[in-house]
This record gives sequence, structure tokens and C-alpha cells, in this order.
Amino acid sequence: MKSELELRGVQQRFHARGVADGYITAVDDVSFSLAASPPQIVSLVGQSGSGKSTIARNVLGLQKPTAGSVLYGGKDIFKLNRAEYDEYRRDVQPVFQDPYAIFNPFYRVDRVLWKAVKKFKLASTREAGLTLIEESLRAVRLEPENVLGRYPHQLSGGQRQRIMLARVHMLRPSFIIADEPVSMLDAQVRKHFLDILLDFQTEHGMTTLFITHDLSTVYYLGGEVMVITKGQIVERGPVSTVMHEPSHPYTKLLLDSIPQPDPDQRWTSRIAVDELDDLEETDAQAAPAPEAPIL
Amino acid sequence: MTMRILTAVLRTIRNSRRLAIGLLILGVMVLLALFSPLIVNAIGGGKDPIEVAAYEKWLVPGPGHLLGTDQFGRDVFAMVVKALSVSLQIGAIAGIISTVVGVIVAFVAGYKGGWIDGILSTFTGILLVIPTFPLLIALSAYAKNVTLFQVGVMISIFAWPFAAKTIRSQVLSLRTRPYVDLARVSKARDLEIIVTELLPNLLPFIGVGFASSALGAIFGLVGLEVIGLGPGGVVDLGQIIFNAITTGALTLGAWPMFVVPIVLLTLLFAALNMVNIGLEEVYNPRLRGVAGE
Repeated sequence: MKSELELRGVQQRFHARGVADGYITAVDDVSFSLAASPPQIVSLVGQSGSGKSTIARNVLGLQKPTAGSVLYGGKDIFKLNRAEYDEYRRDVQPVFQDPYAIFNPFYRVDRVLWKAVKKFKLASTREAGLTLIEESLRAVRLEPENVLGRYPHQLSGGQRQRIMLARVHMLRPSFIIADEPVSMLDAQVRKHFLDILLDFQTEHGMTTLFITHDLSTVYYLGGEVMVITKGQIVERGPVSTVMHEPSHPYTKLLLDSIPQPDPDQRWTSRIAVDELDDLEETDAQAAPAPEAPIL
Repeated sequence: MTMRILTAVLRTIRNSRRLAIGLLILGVMVLLALFSPLIVNAIGGGKDPIEVAAYEKWLVPGPGHLLGTDQFGRDVFAMVVKALSVSLQIGAIAGIISTVVGVIVAFVAGYKGGWIDGILSTFTGILLVIPTFPLLIALSAYAKNVTLFQVGVMISIFAWPFAAKTIRSQVLSLRTRPYVDLARVSKARDLEIIVTELLPNLLPFIGVGFASSALGAIFGLVGLEVIGLGPGGVVDLGQIIFNAITTGALTLGAWPMFVVPIVLLTLLFAALNMVNIGLEEVYNPRLRGVAGE
């Protein structure tokens, strides 16, 4: 398997009305790379609208960037030949944000798993396929008899999101692109989900790009972190460094925004939304721009 | 295999009473239409009951003539059965043509987007604002002795944009759903996504599109018949109503001439709608109730 996923100067603009130049720049000159070995977890943190989900779509090949390129094994993912494309698809798999919308309401949930079996030729017989599906469901701590044959609306959000993890478990990609996978789960299910991701890293050697707005989950996962705001990566480094010695004012602000489960540590000051905007204009240049991609 | 499909269909029908009733009414009508030559023969007893002056005119409903006779002495029951078959045919022809065209245009425009969508949507929009009926009149007058099929095609030309517009907007909303993205990262091709991910969720809209095109065509033909521009030599339900109105059939006690075609048209309308709603219940599991199975 080719073992590197690289973004080189990726820029994504969208047409928009009522904006000065007619464009909104969602992702602005973003470069970083992910290596499959050693397996790692890299978090991409930013507020809503900072461009993090767009990066996920770029990496997954769902959206062609307006400039720059996404490279898989050194080749542009939009210029792969058939065999390379098949390998890329198999090797880079997503977990999406919304566990409700990810299933077509028309079908039973089994279909998502069977489709993976058939499209990626994971098993040659029906029995082998079923064994594989049951094995993967158990790996994400779901009882096959409780979920197979059900419709999406009959399962809870956590169960549905874990079915997506079971799908990933079956495919064993080198890279998981997890776009806010836990934002719609409650705290307990969230920890459960993150533990499974960590298991995947250690047991199956999967590298995860974990996209989130929530620094506490980033802290729990560890590894590397990149902070993105207004489409630009403003800070990157190991989680412990970034969390304890943030260099960019936006990171500091993000850290201050984590609620503490402690009545004595209530938020004392309010963060006004325009404070965020001011920060960008005055301090963005002052912060050291991280040049070289970490990793 | 056939058995499995059959049992699946039967189970579907059992699950929805609306669907069952709708299909039953529709089925009876289609049977009546299919056997209309036999029924007409049986009524005539050897001679043509729809011939001018086949019987005495304005006979009241009775054992000999269940629905009486009209101003030319034709048997109204035989006429109604035959007209029903004509109306269903025109509905089926126009419904199928305009649904197929509408669905294809809607999916290409909605899924592909960009300039393709621009061209197709503009074209659809132009057809939508053309006043249909005057043009139909012009076309019928120009093409003398048109057949039933030709009228069906003419009506479809102006009926498909309605289906295309509604379905396109649904495709636009559905194609950005995460499950479409998931299908794409699972190596599904565009056509596969359209057929297996989008189409099933749009069945109710397609059904409504078909029903409204079919009904539009049936009523369109009624309109053409009224001004004498319908296809030559056939009697549809509209013509019977028109005859009943112009001859004042109600005052002469020949009420079936007026009431029966209207009741049939209403039933047809109700049946098609019940099938639609029933299908939506069956195909959208969320409407099935919390317990599911």
C-alpha cells in the first residue's frame, strides 16, 4: 500500500453572491501530509466555517480543489488510473459527521456493509461476507443480531456511527478521514467511539485525520494537532505542546472555550463573537507562521 | 424467484390499506377497459349498441338499458365502458411518456448541475410558461385525423416539464446527502447512485408526476373533445359529459349520461392518489410507525 497522503497548497473557493470579489475562500493554501507508518492520529481543530470539513472532502476526492493538489502515494488523486484509483478508494475511507444522514432511509443498515464487501471484493461467498460483517460489528462492540436487518431509524446515533466504524474495520484502510464523528454523540458514547479509533491505530495500524471543533476530544486522543481558522492552518505540533503553550491567539481562545465540569471553574468572562474576528486581523501576522509540515 | 417477488408484492399491499383500495379500483377499471369490446358485444347482442339509432333515443335507465340511451339512441352503458378504455389509454400513453422524459431530464439536470442544468432548466421553464391549450388546438387543427397515440404524444410534450421541475428540485437536495458521498467513496458510479440511492427515495414524487400527467392528459382530451378537435372516431368520457350538457340530458331523466362519467373520473383520480400515498407509506419506512416490523 502506498503510505502517504499529502496536501500541497490546497485552495478551495466557492462562488458566493454578495461578497466583494464573488468568491468565498474556504480553504487557503493548506499543506500537510499524513504518513501511514507509524500509524498516528492527527487532529484538525477549528470552529464552524473554518474550512475543516472542506479539507475532508478534498482529501476524500469528493471535491476538486480550485488550486493545489491532493497527492496519494505521490500522485494527484484526480489523475489516478483505474488500478491506482481502486487502491486509493480502498485505502482512504471516511467517517462522517451525521450518523442520521449517512444511511439511505430506504434500505436496511446491512446494505452499507454488504456494499463494502461487494465493491471492494472482500469476500467471495455470502457466508464469508456475513462472517466478515459479524466479526467487524463485534470489533466495534455491536451485537450483530441487534443491528442487522434493521432500518437506520430503528438504531441510536451511537450504534449507527459504530456501524460506520465497522465498515472501516472491514476495509482496513491506511487512512481514516473522520469529519466531526463524535459531535452528534453524547459524552459516554463519544469516549467509547474514540477508544475504538485508538484501537484501530494500535491494532490495525490505521492513521486517522480527526477533524473536530472540540479540544477535549483532541486532548484525549493525543498525537499531533493542527489548528485551522479562516481556511488557514495557524498552528501545529504535538497535542501536549499546543495545549500547554499555545502560540497563536486563536488557539488560546479555543483553549479558553473548553467548559470545565467543575462548579468552581465557571466561565467568568464572556467571549464575544466579534472578538474572534478582531483577533484575526490584528494578531494573525504576529503569530509565527508554521512553515514546514509537521510529520 | 417469481414467487418471491409475488409474495413481496402481496405483503406490500397487505401493509397499506390505501394502496390496496387504490389498486383495487384501478384494477377494476383497467379490467373493464380491457374487456370493453366483449362487454359492448354482450350489450349489443349481435349488433353495435353504439351505432347511431341502434335503439330508440332517450330511453330511461331500465333492465334493457342499464344506463338508458342518448340523443342518437346509443346505449349509454356501452358508451361509458368504451369511453373509459379510451380515457385510460390516453392517460397511460401521456403519463408514461411525460414521466419518463421528465425523470430523465430531472436527473440529468439535477445530478450533473452546471451548464447542463442551466440549459435543461431554461428549456423546461420555457415549455412551462407556454399556454398549452391554445397550442394543442392549433396542433390538432393542423394534424387532421390524428390518432389517439398522436394526441397522447402532443399532450405529453407539454406535461413533462411539471414532473421534471419537481423532481429536479428533489434531486438537487438529495444529491448532497451524506449517503451519496458514502456511495461515492464506495466506488459507486453516477448511474448507480442515481438508480439505487436517489431513485427509490423519489418514487413518491415520480408516482405523483405520473398520476398528474395521466390525469392532465385525460382532462386535456376532454377539453379537446369539447371543441371537436379530438382524435377521429373515438368516444371518451369527456365527450359523453359534453353531450349530456349540450342536450340537457339531466332534464330528460337521462342522468346517468352526466353522472356516471363524472363518478368514474373522480374514482380514477382518487384511486391514483391512494396508490401514490400508499406507495409512499410502503417505501418510506419512517412513515410505517415506530415499531417497524
